[in-house]
This record gives sequence, C-alpha cells and structure tokens, in this order.
Amino acid sequence: MSAVVTNKATHIVITFYVGDYCFAIEVNKVQEVTGISEVYPVPLASAFVLGLINLRGQIATALSLREFFKHKDNVVNIHPMSVVCRIDGGLISMVVDRVGDVIEVQESLFEKTPETIELEIQKYIKGIYKTNNGFLSLLDIEVIAKELSPHGDSSSVIAS
Amino acid sequence: MAEAEEICDQFIKNLTAYELDPSKEIFDELYRLMHSLKGSAYLFSFKNLGDKAHHLESYLEGFRHQSNGPSQSEIGKLFSDFKVIEIELQSLHPNFKPTGRPEVHSIAQNVSQEHQSSPEPTSINIVDKSKQSQDETNSSIRVSVNLLDNLMTLMGEMVLVRNQVIQLSNRSEDAHLQSLSKKLNVVTSEIQNEMMKTRLQPIGTVINKFQRVVRDLAQDLGKGIQLQIQGADTELDKSLLEAIKDPLTHIVRNSCDHGIESPQDRISAGKPRDGHITIRAYHEGGQVVIEVGDDGKGLHKERLISKAIEKGIISRGDQDKLSESDVFNLIFAPGFSTAQQVTNVSGRGVGMDVVRTNIEKIGGTIDLQSRTGHGTTIKLKIPLTLAIIPALIVQCGSEHFAIPQSKLEELVRVEQTNEENRVEILHGSPVFKLRGQILPLVDLSKVLKRNSNTNYDRGVINIAVVKSEETSFGIVFDAIQDTADIVVKPLNRLLKSLQIYSGATILGDGSVILILDILGVSKVARIGMNRNDYTNHDDKEDKLLADIQDYLLVGLASPTKHAFILNSVFRLEEFNTDQIEQCGNLSLVRYRDATLPIIDLNLILFGEKSKFDQLKTLVIVVRKKDKLYGLMVDTIVDTLSTDVEMETQPIKQKGLFGSLNLPDELIALIDPFEIINLAYPDQIQEPVNKPEVAQLQAVHRENVFVNNESKRILLAEDTVFFRKAIKNVLEKAGYQVITANDGHQALEIMIKEYKSISLLVSDIEMPKMNGFQLAEHLKNNPQLNLIPRMAISSRADSGFLKKGLESGFDMYLEKLNQDVLLNAVEKLMHLKREAA
Repeated sequence: MSAVVTNKATHIVITFYVGDYCFAIEVNKVQEVTGISEVYPVPLASAFVLGLINLRGQIATALSLREFFKHKDNVVNIHPMSVVCRIDGGLISMVVDRVGDVIEVQESLFEKTPETIELEIQKYIKGIYKTNNGFLSLLDIEVIAKELSPHGDSSSVIAS
Repeated sequence: MAEAEEICDQFIKNLTAYELDPSKEIFDELYRLMHSLKGSAYLFSFKNLGDKAHHLESYLEGFRHQSNGPSQSEIGKLFSDFKVIEIELQSLHPNFKPTGRPEVHSIAQNVSQEHQSSPEPTSINIVDKSKQSQDETNSSIRVSVNLLDNLMTLMGEMVLVRNQVIQLSNRSEDAHLQSLSKKLNVVTSEIQNEMMKTRLQPIGTVINKFQRVVRDLAQDLGKGIQLQIQGADTELDKSLLEAIKDPLTHIVRNSCDHGIESPQDRISAGKPRDGHITIRAYHEGGQVVIEVGDDGKGLHKERLISKAIEKGIISRGDQDKLSESDVFNLIFAPGFSTAQQVTNVSGRGVGMDVVRTNIEKIGGTIDLQSRTGHGTTIKLKIPLTLAIIPALIVQCGSEHFAIPQSKLEELVRVEQTNEENRVEILHGSPVFKLRGQILPLVDLSKVLKRNSNTNYDRGVINIAVVKSEETSFGIVFDAIQDTADIVVKPLNRLLKSLQIYSGATILGDGSVILILDILGVSKVARIGMNRNDYTNHDDKEDKLLADIQDYLLVGLASPTKHAFILNSVFRLEEFNTDQIEQCGNLSLVRYRDATLPIIDLNLILFGEKSKFDQLKTLVIVVRKKDKLYGLMVDTIVDTLSTDVEMETQPIKQKGLFGSLNLPDELIALIDPFEIINLAYPDQIQEPVNKPEVAQLQAVHRENVFVNNESKRILLAEDTVFFRKAIKNVLEKAGYQVITANDGHQALEIMIKEYKSISLLVSDIEMPKMNGFQLAEHLKNNPQLNLIPRMAISSRADSGFLKKGLESGFDMYLEKLNQDVLLNAVEKLMHLKREAA
C-alpha cells in the first residue's frame, strides 16, 4: 500500500459497526484490532463491562459498545471484534459488531452531534462525519475513559 | 538527572557521616560529589543547578586546604545550601522524567564503608551485591523501568507456554521431548526468579533520606536527635518502596515530635541529652520488617484512654477490658491524635490511622510497643513484593477467584450431614460455630450476585476463614481449585471502585481470574461495619433494613431473663412501694389523674406473689385499648437490639410470645396484652366486624392447608417484631405472605400486585401513611376495593374501632392472638365484594 498523503484538513480513522451504525475512532488512539477469545466476567461490575480478556499476557477490560449506545436488540454476534486502546496506562477493549476500513476523512465534513440525539448517547460522540456512505460517529474515547475512572475512586461506597 | 539525584543522596549521606566523624576522606568525597554534580549539570545545560553546585564546591574548597575542616555551624550552612540545590533539582524534574528514575546506574560507589551510620549504596544492581567493590563501576548498566516491566510481561507469557509444553510432554511418549521440557521448566523458573529480583531495590533509597528529615526536624524543634539506620540494603519491591515512603516519613516525624523529649526533659529524666531514633530493616519469614524505635518518653496509657473516651472511640466501660497492646493500638483508630496542639511537624489531621490504612493496603501489618519513659517502637511488616503473591484459587459457580494467602487464616470443610456442627441459617444468613465462636459467613455467590445457590441442606460446605482488620469471617465457596503464586495485575479504576477486587491475574492455562479484596468483601457484606463506621446513618432506617428489633430486658423471680418488645412499652415508672394501694384484689397507683392498675408479673407467670419489701417498685406501663396498665418487675436490666428471630414454644406458655435464643442465653418474651387479659379476663376485646362479615362462616380448620397455597396476604406492619410474628403465624397456616414496612409501601405493593393479593392485614399506627389512610385509599379505588381488609392493632379502644370500620376495614382485631387471627383471616378470605 502506498503511503497515505495527509494534509492538515484530513484525519485517518478506523471505522467499525455497532448495530447498523458506523462509528469511527482516530487511528492513532487504537493499539490494535483483534478477535475475541474468551471473556471472563466481573461480577457486580456495571452492565457495560463485559469482563476481562487476556491480551497476550496483559489484562484488558472489555466494554460493550452495544451497551453504551443502548442496542438492546439481543442479537448474538458470534464474531465480535475488539478495538483495543490504551487509556491511562490500562488496556481497554471495545467490543464491536464488525470492523470496517481505515479511511481518510475530510475535516470539512465534520459537524457537531445533533442536539436531538439522546444525551446519554450524545456524550460519547465527539461529532459526526458526513461521508458518501452515510454518517460516521466519531467516538469520544476520553469520555469513555472518564466513565472508567469514577471520581472518589476507592472511597466510593457500594450500595448493596 | 537520575545521576544528579544519586549524587545528592550520597552527598547528604556523607555530610551526615562527616558531621559525626570529621575525617579527611569523607570531606574529600563531599567535594568530589559536588564537583561531578556541577560537571553533569553543565553538561546537560542546567545552568542554574550548575551555578549553585559550583558555588558550593568553591565553598567546600575553602575548607579543603584548612587543617581543621568546617565547624558545626558551618556544616549547618552546608546542609541549608545543599537544600537549595535539591529544590533546584526537583524543579527540573517534571520536564525530564516524571515517573521515577532508571533503576540501575553506574556511579562509583566509594562510600566510607567503615562508618556504621553510612548505609549501603543507593542503587539497584543486577550483579550480586556482596561482590561489589569500589572499582566495579562497569558491572552495572542503566535500564529503564518500562523495559523491565515489558520483560516481566513477556516472562509471564513464557511461563504460560512452558506450562503448555509440560502438559504436552506429559502426554507424550517421546523421551527426548520429556527431557527437553524438563530443562525448559528449570530454566524458565530460574529466569523467572532472576527477573523478579530486578524489581527489588534496597530500602536505603527511602530511609537514607530520613537522615536529612530528622536533622532538619531536630533543629526546628530544638531537640538533639540522632538517627541510626540498620539494614539499608534490605531489598523491597520498587512499588512497595514508594508506598511505604509516606507512612514511614509520618512515623519518623511523629517520633521526633512526640517521642523524643526536649533536651532539658531528657537530662532531668536522667537520659543522655540527645535522643536516638533507630530504623532497622531486615528480612523475616518472607517479609520485610521495618522497625522505627525511639528512646523518648513513650506512650502515656492513661492519656490514651481518656483521649479515646473523649473522642468516642471506646466507651467508658470498655477501658478495663483493653489489654496493653489494645491501648497502644488505639492511636491507629480513626480520629485519634494525642498531640495537644497542632505543630507544623505533626498533628495536621493526618493521623496514624492513615498510616495503618496505607500499610494494610499493600498487605502489610503495623504494630506498636511502648514503655512509658523508655520509648516507643513501631514495627511494620511488609510483603517482599506486591507483584507476586501466594494465593488460594477457589471456585464459585462457573468462575474462579483468588484469595491472597496473607489474609487466609484457615480452611474449614463442613459436612452438612454432621448434625452437631454444621452451617446453620440464622435469620437468612449462614453462620458456623468454629471452636465455640460464631463465625459470620459470607456466601460468595450471594455477595457477587451469581445465580448459583449454595445448598446448605446437605453435602459439604467449604469455608475460607479470612481476617480483615480486626474481624474474622468465613467466605463460603463451592470448591478449592488450586494454590498458586500469582502475578498481580492492576484493574482499571472503575473495577477497582467496586472495592471487592484488588486485581486480576492470568493463570497457567491463560485464563483470567479476579483477586478478591478481603477488606472490600467484608465492606460489601457489611461485616465489622458496626465498629468501624462512624458516619451518621439514619439509625432507625438502618434498623428497619437490618430487621433489628429493640427489646427491654427485665428481671423477674426466675433465673431466665424476660424481655418486652420496646415498642409496646409506653413508659417506665418507679413508684414508692407505699404509693401502691390495695383495693379489693386490685393493686392501684394514682397516675396521671387516674388510677393505674398494677399487675404482678411474678404472680401471673410463676404463680407466686412478689414481695413488696423494697422501697421502690419498678413498673412498666403498657397501653391496651385506651387504658394504661402497670406491669411490675423486679429489675430493669438493659435494652437489647438483635435480629435474632423469636421462636414460639411448642407448648404455648401463658403470657409469653415465645423466646429469643441468643448465642449465650435464652430470653423469654413477654406478651403484655395477654398478661393483661389474664389479669382482667372481662376486658378481652372480641373482633369487631362489619355486618356482612359476621354472616360468613369460618371454614373448618382442617381444610386450611389444602386451600391456602394460592392465597397471598399483604401484611403492613412497622414494628419488626410483630411483622415477623404475624408473618410466621400466617405462613404456618399455609398462606403466602408479603410484607410492607408502612402504609405507603403497602399501597405501592397493592397497586402493583393487586391481582395476586387475596387479603390485606394492616396495622393502624404506622409511619408515612397510617392504616386508616391506607384503607381510605383502597376503598376509593374500584380495583383495590375488591380485596378484603383487616386491621390489627394494639390500639383497640372504641374510638379506634369505629374509625377503623368507617375508613373501610372489614374487620378490626386486637393484637395478637393466633387463633383469633387465623379464624378472622379465613373468614375474610371468603368475603366477596361486588365491584362498585
């Protein structure tokens, strides 16, 4: 493959699908994309935590993007994929339905997330790219990271 | 940068050594160190630092040519000048290397080894330390921590592969493969061991800094303090070193501030003028022990106790029960500080409790010994490394969890077929009697909200007895899987905040398991909360949730203690015995503009009259209907809060509800209403009904068990005791019972589940919404109105009865006669109301 020529006005993103929607994440934030072998559940954790996975000797926390974006359609995906990012020194595996291409998107096609979208979903999306093949929602990995480090940290009390 | 820090460390060390022993060699070393610091600083164009080092170097040079070296005060100036350099160095820090420094370095290690207080060089060396000599400068290299961490991870991978190869070779017939895999096994284990060592660092890197801390403090406080360090070469995992740094600093500062007395005090106590603080570090039984001892005034036991009482940490009655070490350990209790006034040295609100918490967080323990007038020693025990811990791997449902061995006290296997000692269910929670002590049990599958249910009826129960803080408890799991040395991997903060896991690990077969945080488990399971939880919870709410009932314990002419339900007690009164007047067969006392009939409990319960031989008579006042009655008791013992359930006696005792079987004694529970009925049979209240109810015929009792399967009764009752008691009675008769704590809750349940409810039984006096309001609500709803309603209350005077029927109850009963209740329930079950 020839080197991708970039200029200031474009970004390279990796795309993936959750349900029918296409999402994107800046390619430099992704460490790797892998299939998923076994997920070891974490009892009592939030619903969006699928569990832990063994990523070649390192432990990654698997998050369900379906849960984040409220896809409750209970479709059992036999071949989910994992987009692995490093956040705060820890590994996060975002479990998605299908991984698409790595594409170059024009900065000029970027727009803010429409305000009518449900707030709970809106907050995870930085903005929307309008591409020829439809909309691309750019995932805000920092917000997801924040979700993973609740303030109060160890002092927070569990309601039991 | 790292080099500069090392130079600083050594400079300080040498300077301290020089202060005690002003020899020419040490001074030359100081000069040389400052010279190389200057050189390095300029080399990396840290001009400020270089200039300052240069200045200090010139200052030192002046002394170099004198015969008698610097005086004490001049050494003092050296310390303060050097501080400037250190500050300069720290300000450069973030720009350059914010996360620690490389572990291995190659500075010439020419420290004056002969001097007792100069510790080992402050470096990590991959080569064997004992062989190290001054000229061995080239045998160590700098390696970044990241590289080491990566190597560790890869090492772990290698171990996994090794395990798989061994499994394969065990199945194979090939002798060659087998011998190769054996070799692989040995080599891998060795590499693993060596790799682990690379993370170890001598404790001197932390504790040598205290020379400076102590010196500065001593000056500030106007005290003479000598610090002695022993065993600075004891090695400890780097991450642990970081973790103990602050607690240790706190302890040392405390010793300086509170421990060592002022010179005058010391001299008048007959001690040498200068105080001594000793830090000793050594290995012991797979742990590193750090002792910080001082020869100061020691802890003052009485003052500790009075302080603890003042702060509400212990109660006045507890003080005699405390052993000496208990008393000393009080200083680790939250909210405790003996410093009379806050100095800038200690007493800034960060108490010893934080020290203890931090030490326990890394799996260590802390212990304190003290002799008044002779000093205090604090002993820390720290695990060698956090990274690898021995653990027990247990199975719970389909999942596995690791329990750190350090928290494990013992494993117990209980055969449930053994009638004498088995796990029993006490109010819904399993408990086990271990050597005569009740051991609270935490069912792992329940705490983790797993679906699997432990079967307590038969089979074998596995219990891991663990210790968290002061409390021991048992964790019930399904099976023991294995013991293993596990490599602890951190969890992200979200999962850490669940409190129940301290980390995760990857097992030999590549599977990931979670490591249980015992302290967290106990918190989630609410074990030991009573003692440690000082926050102000809504007490009443908590009691409701925990199903705890308050009782009033009284003494009667019987060795058994008797108890009243506290809610049924109207007042406690003490009358002069001569106030009690006899009127026919009645004993009466004038009380609140009326007469209070006095009932002799001893007479009714045991058939023997009480002797009125004392000046005062204790009376428990109870309200029944609109009248007050006084029940005479011998003594009032105490109150009791417990969630122990009442047991009804097989043969009904007159005047008693039943008994409370506490672990150490049995308490008889008095039914004050029945007592009153027994004393005044003519006052018994018959159930009051609406006319249509009166026409219903009670079904014959024998049919009850067949018919009641599908009958659900909603019981609204705020008093825990009655809620349980009535529920018991109804359930024994075969009904299903759901309960509500107040009228409001009852209404909510009604609205949600009215289709499955056949009868409402409700108390009248309840919080949030009383029985009358509840009945009104139900009456006005066409759907809910179909369900028959029964009121049951101790307030059964005529006004209440009338209002009850008006508000829509079909029947009004007085608490609490089983047979009357069951009859009434059966009657009402047949009440069919036409939909309005």
